[in-house]
Amino acid sequence: MTAAHSLVVEDLSAGYGERTILDDLDLSFAAGRITSIVGANGCGKSTLLRTLARLLAPSAGQVLLDGKSVHRSPTRVLARTLGLLPQSPVAPEGITVADLVSRGRHPHHGLISRWNSHDDAAIAKALEVTQTTDLADREVDALSGGQRQRVWIAMALAQETDILLLDEPTTFLDVSHQVEVLDLLTDLNHQRGITVVMVLHDLNLAARYSDQLVAMTGGKLYAHGEPNSILNEEMIQSVFGLRSQVIPDPISSKPMMLPIGRHRLASER
Amino acid sequence: MTAHMDNSLMKVRRGRLKRARSWRALLAIFVFILAAGFALTLMLGQSFTPLQEVLRVLLGENVPGASFTVGQLRLPRALLCILAGCCFGLGGVAFQIMLRNPLASPDIIGVSGGASAAAVFAIVVLQMDGVAVSIFSVFVGLGVALLVYGFSYRNGVAGTRLILIGIGVSAMIESFIAYILARAPSWDLQEAMRWLTGSVNSAQLSQALPVLIALLVFGGILLCRARDLEALRLGDDTAAALGVRVGVTRITVIVCAVGMIAVATAVTGPIAFVAFLSGPIAARIIGSNGSLLIPSALVGACLVLVGDYIGQFLLPSRYPVGVVTGALGAPYLIYLIVRVNRNGGSL
Ligand SMILES: Nc1ncnc2c1ncn2[C@@H]1O[C@H](COP(=O)(O)OP(=O)(O)O)[C@@H](O)[C@H]1O
Ligand SMILES: [Mg+2]
Repeated sequence: MTAAHSLVVEDLSAGYGERTILDDLDLSFAAGRITSIVGANGCGKSTLLRTLARLLAPSAGQVLLDGKSVHRSPTRVLARTLGLLPQSPVAPEGITVADLVSRGRHPHHGLISRWNSHDDAAIAKALEVTQTTDLADREVDALSGGQRQRVWIAMALAQETDILLLDEPTTFLDVSHQVEVLDLLTDLNHQRGITVVMVLHDLNLAARYSDQLVAMTGGKLYAHGEPNSILNEEMIQSVFGLRSQVIPDPISSKPMMLPIGRHRLASER
Repeated sequence: MTAHMDNSLMKVRRGRLKRARSWRALLAIFVFILAAGFALTLMLGQSFTPLQEVLRVLLGENVPGASFTVGQLRLPRALLCILAGCCFGLGGVAFQIMLRNPLASPDIIGVSGGASAAAVFAIVVLQMDGVAVSIFSVFVGLGVALLVYGFSYRNGVAGTRLILIGIGVSAMIESFIAYILARAPSWDLQEAMRWLTGSVNSAQLSQALPVLIALLVFGGILLCRARDLEALRLGDDTAAALGVRVGVTRITVIVCAVGMIAVATAVTGPIAFVAFLSGPIAARIIGSNGSLLIPSALVGACLVLVGDYIGQFLLPSRYPVGVVTGALGAPYLIYLIVRVNRNGGSL
């Protein structure tokens, strides 16, 4: 089991150049839990993850990891606790799976430290849990979308961080691969106590697989809490501007959202 | 699970050891080819000098005839070829890796051109010589690099924008060089060719020294930063998430790569396309087996050494090395532009 880390956002504002995207957020991510961030396109979900992982400096407020500002900690030290899988990572042409996954060990090495057996073990384990061992010698370019996503997750796992941030880890995957990735993250969370914070677009999968949901709109926090208490028709209306009906998911007994558009309604006929 | 785990561990370890072994073996082959090329260029020329005599000259003995041809003519030339080639190869591949694009090499985006223009200007107009020329070139090369970088900066640097701006700047610089050369009265064609395409004619040992120092200092820093540089190939966000200080790494790489390229250029001129070709050739051979930095330096050295030999002795008349490497590089440039046009390639 990993140590429980506190990850807290205080009065956080951030943006690109003059443009403010995140507007005065206050949030505390539950340690050892799975949190999903949901919200409309362009509402600042990726920006929030990038600021948490100190890829973007805040214009006001701070991100505190165990009480210390991430933007003032040494980046290599931080990268041993907090990992990020960006929204659309790029694999260098011709790189093999084993090579890519081994890049996850980067923060554990200094200028002169040599590769050791713990590195091998971390990589082997990452390949094993993501079921990519058999792909180890293949080129990443030549894999299917689902395989490639698992390889990227393996790289993030090889980093052996207690907190894992993932930006849309299921986008571009078919439904069975989406479920597979979410099951994998849940296993990691249960077995190793890894804190998972991710951006998901599928609200129903987010509700089913997350302990906590964070709903954002226009760079502001709309609601934060357990799926049962925050996912309702009013929230969908405010965050996505969409009419909907929320019913209990017969599989998980978490809430399930059914969108209501202008057409194809039973009452229409 | 544990049996599985052991199996995975074995596979990972074996794969890593195998890649490291292949990398070392390929590196040994590069070194061997370079050493053989070095020995042959010392032995062969207008006349043939046997290996024993070459060795005696290298050991400092006075051998009638050979001491002059080998010690004064061939040795400085071969050394300068190798050192400048290493600088171009290493500096070039560092840029290509950092910007994730083979077209982003210093000789395509105007950095080499800038250094070379600075050297011509310093020599012809300012009447400088020696180390002063090198220092001036380094600063102008850096200036051009930062200018191109700055012009293409808009919420991060996009590779294509940087390359297009660089090609434009490069064209302006080349016309500037042509203008100065045209205005300089007592300029012979050989010398002019040096600043247009690069040449190691009339090399002297004293010229090799600044290039050696630049290679050791800047190359040493680059090699220390090799892991961070390699991580940049995964994209800025992933690299940063892996604990790389992206901005610091970028600046370090730019300063070191430009520094060594500018010092070499101030002596030999911008030997065409060596910086551009070395990385991709090394990448083809090394593949996914390990770092490209040292292999690219060795490929650069081989290219300049062999290119110069071909230009001197194997063609109907004598050409400076830059003409030969230019002829090699041009088709590859066209190939790359066609390919990048199709699917936006990387190194
Ligand atoms: N690199 C950038 N430079 C400028 N604006 C950006 C950049 N990245 C994102 N944005 C803008 O920030 C806003 C929020 O983007 P993002 O956080 O990616 O949204 P989400 O992930 O929720 O879809 C968008 O309006 C987007 O246009
Ligand atoms: Mg996003």
